[in-house]
Amino acid sequence: MVHRMQRRMLRGAALVVAAALVLAGCGIGAGPTDVGLTDKPVTLTMSWWGADARTQKTLEAIKLFEADHPNIKVEPQYADWNGYWDRLATTTAAGDMPDVMQFDEVYLTSYANRGTLLDLQKVSSVLDTSALSPDTLDSGRVGGTLDAVPIGAAPNGVIINKTLFDQYGVALPDTATWTWEQFTQAAVQLQTASGGKVNGVSLFGNDAFPLNIWARQHGDQLYGSDGKVAISPETVASYFQRELDWIKAGASGSASEWAEGNGNTLDQADIVTGRVGMMFIPAGSLTSYQSAAPKFTYVIANWPTDPDTKPGFQYLKPSMYWAASARSEHPAEAGLLINFLTNDIRVAKLFGVDRGVPANPKFRDALSAGLDANTKMAFDFTAAMATESGPAPAPTPNGASDVQTMIGRYNQQALFGQLSPEDAGKAFVEELQRSIDAAS
Amino acid sequence: MTELRRWVRALSKHVALIVVAVLMIYPLLWMVASSLRPNDEIFTSPGLLIDTFDFRHYPDGWNALARPFSTYLLNSAIVVAGSVVGNLISCSLAAYAFARLQFSAKRIAFVIMLIAIMLPVHVLIIPQYVLYAQIGWINTFLPLIVPKFLATDAFFIFLMVQFIRGIPVELDEAARIDGAGHARIYLQIMLPLMIPALATTAIFTFIWTWNDFFSQLIFVTKPDLYTVPVALRSLIDAQSQSDFGALFAMSVISLVPVFLVFLFGQRLLLRGIATTGGK
Amino acid sequence: MTALGELRALSAPRGMQSAREKAARGRDNKAAAIFLAPWLIGLIGITLGPMLMSLYLAFTNYNLLQNPQFTGLENIQRMLGDERLGASLLVTAIYVLVSVPLQLAVALALAILLDRGVRGLPLYRSVFYLPSLLGASVAIAVLWRLVFGGQGLLNALLSLFGIQGPAWIAEPQTALGTLIVLHVWTFGSPMVIFLAGLRQIPRELYEAASTDGAGRWRQFRSITLPMLSPIIFFNLVLGLIGSFQTFTQAFIISNGTGGPADSTLFYSLYLYQEGFSSLRMGYASALAWLLLIIIAAFTAVNFWAAKYWVFYND
Repeated sequence: MVHRMQRRMLRGAALVVAAALVLAGCGIGAGPTDVGLTDKPVTLTMSWWGADARTQKTLEAIKLFEADHPNIKVEPQYADWNGYWDRLATTTAAGDMPDVMQFDEVYLTSYANRGTLLDLQKVSSVLDTSALSPDTLDSGRVGGTLDAVPIGAAPNGVIINKTLFDQYGVALPDTATWTWEQFTQAAVQLQTASGGKVNGVSLFGNDAFPLNIWARQHGDQLYGSDGKVAISPETVASYFQRELDWIKAGASGSASEWAEGNGNTLDQADIVTGRVGMMFIPAGSLTSYQSAAPKFTYVIANWPTDPDTKPGFQYLKPSMYWAASARSEHPAEAGLLINFLTNDIRVAKLFGVDRGVPANPKFRDALSAGLDANTKMAFDFTAAMATESGPAPAPTPNGASDVQTMIGRYNQQALFGQLSPEDAGKAFVEELQRSIDAAS
Repeated sequence: MTELRRWVRALSKHVALIVVAVLMIYPLLWMVASSLRPNDEIFTSPGLLIDTFDFRHYPDGWNALARPFSTYLLNSAIVVAGSVVGNLISCSLAAYAFARLQFSAKRIAFVIMLIAIMLPVHVLIIPQYVLYAQIGWINTFLPLIVPKFLATDAFFIFLMVQFIRGIPVELDEAARIDGAGHARIYLQIMLPLMIPALATTAIFTFIWTWNDFFSQLIFVTKPDLYTVPVALRSLIDAQSQSDFGALFAMSVISLVPVFLVFLFGQRLLLRGIATTGGK
Repeated sequence: MTALGELRALSAPRGMQSAREKAARGRDNKAAAIFLAPWLIGLIGITLGPMLMSLYLAFTNYNLLQNPQFTGLENIQRMLGDERLGASLLVTAIYVLVSVPLQLAVALALAILLDRGVRGLPLYRSVFYLPSLLGASVAIAVLWRLVFGGQGLLNALLSLFGIQGPAWIAEPQTALGTLIVLHVWTFGSPMVIFLAGLRQIPRELYEAASTDGAGRWRQFRSITLPMLSPIIFFNLVLGLIGSFQTFTQAFIISNGTGGPADSTLFYSLYLYQEGFSSLRMGYASALAWLLLIIIAAFTAVNFWAAKYWVFYND
């Protein structure tokens, strides 16, 4: 009896597995069959990550869109950052990807290269991208297809807590022309004047953005156009060494102080709690920092330079993208929704700078009238940097989606003295390249 | 003299208990305090004193997402209720078989049961999702509840097996001589004697399900069906400003049912001895 | 027949089973089929398929977005040279070996203390269980940083005694320790199970021992421990299985990085990073099955050792 049951059990399990594999296998390749709009009722799923404020604004935008297109119903899905990517990977593996998605640069190539994203050029009849500058739009292209439309783009800058500098009577150098030496000096002065209560500058952190700017300042770059790691181990080592120098000079807190804040959300950052005077951030976030810390006044400045710093080191990094699923049953409607999110002025007013400094100039114009001082500063800074920017960097290659944790890990090993900056730089470059090789 | 010694002993016992209790309760008090603070003071105040009271977080958090928070509490309640009932029935049935019945392949079955809980959820979730998608269960509570009716929480089977083994086997034999079959022994002897284990199972299932994030995140993507843990995480974002005050306020609210259930469930743990006559 | 007996019999050659034993074993087949029906259906319909699929994926290169490609033993070869795998095994081993016994000892001690008719028992029990209720939530992660940070509560307390503590949670040497503290702090779960187990011990045994003049310690050694041994065994086995799989606590405290400098890189966290952040689910599946083998080995040893100290009524 039970033996028979066991045999039946195994057979059943085998069937389930086979079915699962077949289903998992059809995650790609099917492609849209019809790119025309329909009058029949259509349901689109749309997903994003973010906190409640963004969710509320996005839901309102969806209502506007649904009012314009009565036959289209948009089903929202939202989650926090980690949950979002776990869920997206799972649903994609099962062939159940949402129709329209908010996307991030680190995952863009990984998903696009595997054919999971819709080539938005196929829906160009409903999706107008002409408002975006070609450079900006290019950041959404992976290997000849337009896989995503950038939402916002901003340079990296130094956020400065003006309140703290004033409070401790430390004069800021002219931030338009400051050198690395002046920068470090200002940080040391602040730390000394506060009696150690406030640190001068936060260490670079896990983000790949400042590492790439650093590389570009030294005539290097993180990735090459061939999709390989281009940065030299020496450049990475100098990046880690700079942090060690700051700690030694009394411009930054200790390695453990930094590690303590590592992985904190924006609200918990030392720059928000007033425990540090300066930090490197994507300029689009300035408004978020400001509203998280109403009692401080922040300003933003360009990166310091040295006399031999290469010009054109800045670039505008897309804060986020909109993308659509290659397996969407309603590609045209998905394109229509992205078009609405990209071009409708009402969306500009609704979203403001929540998803970064808008990439669409018309959005920026629409917002410029009612800007608070801080957001205006972010806009002006972005505009100024746009003119100084060098060529857009190569996108994060397939297989490098975990570059941030990798930077963080080797950074910590260097800071805690487990590896020399040189060894950490070398190991980082090797591991990153291995990861890319394994994925292709 | 002995009176004094006994008194000192009782006192020192209570002092020890109170010290431990403070360590245990501190986080809860801090959570409540944080839910009443302005957002920018939460991360700088490990203490309990509040400078400015800010009750705003409760209404804000309640209405922060597409639906009032009661929706998510209700969703979680449905999932939890189903899970508790499912685990109580299915696990006690299986446990009775493992503890009291002699059948072929019992050892193998027992080993398989234990092995099934040794794989981390992260490598199982995708095949599971594919499976549930195939039968149309995604965006329902079925993937969260039905498995509990099928005794997939082997943890509790094992727990109950251990408890049943603590029940003298003479009781079954006496009943069998009286002509009772397995169904009657299970219903009339085992279940009443297992009440502490059943209460433990119910409490644990409740709390774990109430706090479980990952499977609820993956199997339910429609916001109207979000459960409390998923809704709570939707209040924060690493890269933009989050409403931590609202998060703490709603965390406090979502703790109330759990705490009540535990207080109530405790009585059941005690009733265990009452019905067995303090045997 | 004890669980241990079953395993012992399992390892014995088939021919050594007596005819009587065989007959006894098959005695309740029909009843067992009914009692186990839900479990069997669950096993076949829900559990087994995904398990076998993950076993298959362990021998593939699977990036979640494309079909898995069979690569034979490549994942296993990679494991042999994987430094982070070694690091995560070490972290997990230290954690399991320290925190499981520690948590059980604390839970047992307090359960016995509470079982001995303390005034205000329900209150204490509820309060002790609180940390387990809170789970590993985001709120706890925030608090843990405020307590164990460089300028946290603990150091403020230590400074009263003139000690300057490190940033416990951020130093590679001490970060794992704070997670062990966090685990021990949630001793409420095993404590509740111990309490339920203590309820099962007949009071008459203690009364009889008392009249025989046995002291508290003797009573504990000769009554409480043996009578509670199945429950201790249960808590130990499940504590091991659970601790080897520890994920959520490590994830929320380090925000998924396993930092500082991989000092809290738990095995499950590494597996998750590989599977979901790096999109290498094939390798993650291989890691998962290695974990299964390790846990199964530990559990088997436990069952084997149980015959020397676990006492059953049946």
